[in-house]
Amino acid sequence: MTQLITTVTIVWIALPLFLGFLLYLLPVLDRSLTLAMAVLSAVYGLYQILADSPIDLQLIDSFGVTLLVNSLSGYFILTNALVTAAVVLYCWGDQGLDKAGQKRPRKTAFFFAQLVILHGCVNAVFICADFMSLYVALEVVGITAFSLVAYPRTDRTIWLALRYLMTSNTAMLFYLLGAVLVYQANHSFAFVGLSNAPKDAIALIFLGLLTKGGVFISGLWLPATHAEAEAPVSALLSGIVSKTGVFPLVRCALLVEEIAPIVQIFSIGTAVLGVVGAMLEKDTKRMLAFSTISQMGLVLAAPVAAGFYALTHGLAKAVLFLSAGNLSDRSFDALRKKPMPRSLWIVIAVASLSLSGFPLIAGFNAKIQTLGQLQGWPLIVLNTAAVGTAIVFAKFIFLPFSNTSTELLPISAEGAILLSPQKARPALFPSLFVGYWLAAGLLLSVLLMAGTFYIEDYQLANLLKALGKVGLGWLIYAIALRGPLNLARIRLPRAPERLDHLMGGMSLILVLLFWRVLA
Amino acid sequence: MPTLEALVLSTVLVGFLGIVFKRNLIMKIIAMDVMSTGVIAFYVLIASRTGVLTPILLSHAGPKTVAQAGESAAAYADPVPQAVILTAIVIGFSIQALMLVGVMKLSRDNPTLDAQSIEEHYSS
Repeated sequence: MTQLITTVTIVWIALPLFLGFLLYLLPVLDRSLTLAMAVLSAVYGLYQILADSPIDLQLIDSFGVTLLVNSLSGYFILTNALVTAAVVLYCWGDQGLDKAGQKRPRKTAFFFAQLVILHGCVNAVFICADFMSLYVALEVVGITAFSLVAYPRTDRTIWLALRYLMTSNTAMLFYLLGAVLVYQANHSFAFVGLSNAPKDAIALIFLGLLTKGGVFISGLWLPATHAEAEAPVSALLSGIVSKTGVFPLVRCALLVEEIAPIVQIFSIGTAVLGVVGAMLEKDTKRMLAFSTISQMGLVLAAPVAAGFYALTHGLAKAVLFLSAGNLSDRSFDALRKKPMPRSLWIVIAVASLSLSGFPLIAGFNAKIQTLGQLQGWPLIVLNTAAVGTAIVFAKFIFLPFSNTSTELLPISAEGAILLSPQKARPALFPSLFVGYWLAAGLLLSVLLMAGTFYIEDYQLANLLKALGKVGLGWLIYAIALRGPLNLARIRLPRAPERLDHLMGGMSLILVLLFWRVLA
Repeated sequence: MPTLEALVLSTVLVGFLGIVFKRNLIMKIIAMDVMSTGVIAFYVLIASRTGVLTPILLSHAGPKTVAQAGESAAAYADPVPQAVILTAIVIGFSIQALMLVGVMKLSRDNPTLDAQSIEEHYSS
């Protein structure tokens, strides 16, 4: 049995890389093979969550090159599988019309090849337990993410992809320095060696992972990249790629106790920074990206509960990015004037409520599980951040929608043109199509089902707390952002997001890390 | 050895400062290459802590004899960091190639390749 699972694990981890090349030779099968790979990963991830029998694979000899699959990996693998599957469904057929009324072409085999390789490398990140395999997996994730962001090949996307690759590669060079210091101290690259390693190693490795995961100041590259990429790519970046930086931090915090306090400080910092950024943001996709920065903090806050939190966040955020790509405008002000179809609103509202921690949706259980692990001042700060999240997503929930949803119903934008020419051409929502509904349906149904995992969370105290936080958030939203105070006037400076400042910020974080670690 | 270590680490630092302060994108990429050269040299340096000889067994008697030989066994360089950094070299050069292709595409509309003006151009 163990032998079988070992073989399955090795085949499963190698298969996507093989498929990536095969897809290119057999472009006819691009979507079906990618989807099949995602289904396979989902099954594997679910098995790991339910079986809860960790698999530990050591490379021959004693250099600590290890794969470790446990239930924590299971949750992350499941997230990866579901988000990938949703993106494949989204990109399956006709892509609808874009805002200019032009037909969006179907994605080529190149896109799916990159997608399946990205999927495989993200899986590899989620099962590795040594710094060298992690390095290789993270770099390949970076390269494929670059190709996916630059896929439309406009100058703007190429620039953003370059900026992403440059930031992540520089961070990874620091990481490499740290990795060799760990090796020097232990003659092994295993994560556990971090406890013996010199303090500088921790600081250097953390810098790399924080930047990759979009945590705290190092995560400021994220809003522009996520906002400008195409909807399915943003969903991938936010749903899974940012978790590739967070997962190793979580795993290290679980394996090495000394690390946990540093991780916690950064988790709180990033939760607050992200929530403030998201509150003051006026652009839908940038707001979602800032919210990702903040949610990474909640994933890191309680390493034990990180898996489930990452799952609920990844699913809800992917739905929101896919939906935001289909809104008529990117700015909230414009969206308040143009109601969206009710069906689209329902999807957005369910995902937003999940992230706000509203009962009956899995986000509620995730928040209870995570916050239940904390006490003292971190609990207070993170509860405040949770109220902040409710404020942020109130922006989406209180957007207007039109009840006459029939005219805007999906499927064929051309059909709508035939029925009512004057309404269709400057159509409000030219681009809702079958793929979108399949993807959103898949993600939301899992989100609703996952809540039943933790029935015991439904206690009166928990319910009251959750409802209180959401209610308080909405009240503050009404008073402070929309009402008399009108804090929404404040604009955050964009300067820290410039490339030079991102790089400079890296050196600041390094100094901060040295100071925290050596203290 | 400490001097060498200082030189290697300052290469990393110089490369990093180049990424921050150089305005031209090509120069930024070259600076990144300098930084990665520093990192590679650091791996080689760490590998040579135990000695500089290539770890190849000359006698066919197997590792046991070499271990018994004591001193001669101790002077070998550690092959693991060298093997590992080879992967990083390959990854680093492919990333650099990818970035240069991106810069080539950008240079059509932004012939100066000034990072700041490109950024202002595309962030509006």
